[in-house]
Amino acid sequence: MNAGNDEPEARSWRKAYGLTLSLFAMEVVLLYLFTIRFS
Amino acid sequence: MNRLDYLVLIATILAIPLYGLWRTRGSASLGQYLKGDASIRWATIGLSVLATQAGPITFLSMPGQAYESGIGFIQNYFGQPLALIVVCAVFVPIYQRLRVYTAYQYLRERFDQKTQLLGAFLFLVQRGIAAGITIYAPAIVLSALLGWRLNLTIWLAGGLVIVYTVVGGTKIVSITQRYQMIVILVGMAIAFAVALYRLSPDLSFEHTLSLAGKMGKLEAVDFSVDPHKRYTFWSGLIGGFFLALSYFGADQSQVQRYLAGGSLKESRLGLLFNAAVKVPMQFFILLLGAIIFMFYQFEKPPVYFNQPAYQRAAESGYGPQLAALQTQFDDVFTQKRAAIRSLADVSATERGAAMTKLQGLDAQAHELRNKTKGILTQAGVDPKSKESDYVFITFILQQMPHGLVGLLIAVILCATMSATSAILNALGSTTAIDFYRPLIRPDASDHHYVVAAKTLTALWGLIAIAVASFASLVENLIEAGNILGSVFYGSILGLFLAGFFIRRVTGSPVFFAAVLAQTLVFVLFATTNIGYLWYNLIGCAAVLILAPVLQQTIFRNTEAPAGV
Repeated sequence: MNAGNDEPEARSWRKAYGLTLSLFAMEVVLLYLFTIRFS
Repeated sequence: MNRLDYLVLIATILAIPLYGLWRTRGSASLGQYLKGDASIRWATIGLSVLATQAGPITFLSMPGQAYESGIGFIQNYFGQPLALIVVCAVFVPIYQRLRVYTAYQYLRERFDQKTQLLGAFLFLVQRGIAAGITIYAPAIVLSALLGWRLNLTIWLAGGLVIVYTVVGGTKIVSITQRYQMIVILVGMAIAFAVALYRLSPDLSFEHTLSLAGKMGKLEAVDFSVDPHKRYTFWSGLIGGFFLALSYFGADQSQVQRYLAGGSLKESRLGLLFNAAVKVPMQFFILLLGAIIFMFYQFEKPPVYFNQPAYQRAAESGYGPQLAALQTQFDDVFTQKRAAIRSLADVSATERGAAMTKLQGLDAQAHELRNKTKGILTQAGVDPKSKESDYVFITFILQQMPHGLVGLLIAVILCATMSATSAILNALGSTTAIDFYRPLIRPDASDHHYVVAAKTLTALWGLIAIAVASFASLVENLIEAGNILGSVFYGSILGLFLAGFFIRRVTGSPVFFAAVLAQTLVFVLFATTNIGYLWYNLIGCAAVLILAPVLQQTIFRNTEAPAGV
């Protein structure tokens, strides 16, 4: 499964995926707050 | 539309392909033609992936969808960021390591040729039809409202795309999509600003949103587990995840976009850009629809937005009935507008009763629109596209200043051209690499395959135009196109996931598992009413369950596992 990435690079990509997931979670929370506020 | 609009429209849709042709002038190797070159960076890849997925239906239909049913459709995109992360972590490194031109070459490396051909065949069938629908869907709306001839509109949108996609290959698709997407985003932002500006001065923006919410238009997230609800957080997260995983991981029209440039880092960054911006972008497009809904609470809307169909029914003997409904609708509209204005003056205790009255009037207006639709059906005027598809374009034509009308029509045509070019590029590449090269001319030169890929791309373009030209003969073709993708995607995704995650499984079990899974989905499609998003999960799960079973029974010890 690993495409030959060395460990530091793999770690930085895992951080990027974590950041993207956090951003998505924040987007859902904001949409939920929007729904509560205006519905 | 006046001369200024036509000038803006023609300049916008011609300038981008001409610039792309200039940037890609000169001959290209097979690798450059099918994968672009190293100059393509993540921003171009990201916008290209975004443009390929969006297509004209997003910009034409989504605001109308929110006008009609609210912004809950946003939840269908909740599975996408997760799927894109899986594509970045699992699919992209494998495609890059194997240096494939098409996703289906992986299936040959991992399994065998018949599995490659099956995956490529399923892709060609569904995307070949989808290319025609991508051209037809906006053409039917634009031709109806602008009085353009349908065939001329189809050739305008399709002909130009064929020429530049054939000449420039993947690189021109990426370059043109980048600028077309910029035009689309700028155009939509301007439409949003104009819609806000045109809202009634009687109400603040916050009050407007509050009213839209009370009228059921702003429920973005619904955690209900009721399976009968069409859009919920859970159906979007789970069903949307499998749909997006299949679309981004195994559909060549997307794989070719992020393999352009050839660098793992640029591909991943382009996809993560999409994971970050897709939900906010769709939210603003849907919110635009809700704002247009509020605009039409103060400015009288037509009782039926597809006015050409309405006029045809009025002229064929149904005029008095339609006029009676129009009078009732006008009366309800006047009462509704007065009720909204009075809301600002009522006390907090009276507000609940006033809102109930407003919601009742809104339901009456909805009922009158449905009755109008019923009369159109009786009159034999059966529109081939949903009425809500005409909401945004009607707003553009009636409320935007000249110049901007031309720009926003250009937005819809840019979206058509960008999505179609990506699909044609992928269809031509897949036919050349997965069928023509291994089956017809295995030992020809690179130049020969470039010519073959160009010829096949042109041929697929003509097929797409033919599908678009005859699309009006088929009932509900646009809906059929949406369902078609979900019917095939599950089995295709199952082939890839079996290759990635089931180490001991070999070619024949996976091939027959996919054939059986596809048959199962066809049977379910013909005999049940399951929501079509679930076919992605069912088809994929069937391949992943059946392949190991077949491996351990019928195909036990018949083939050695592949080493990829």
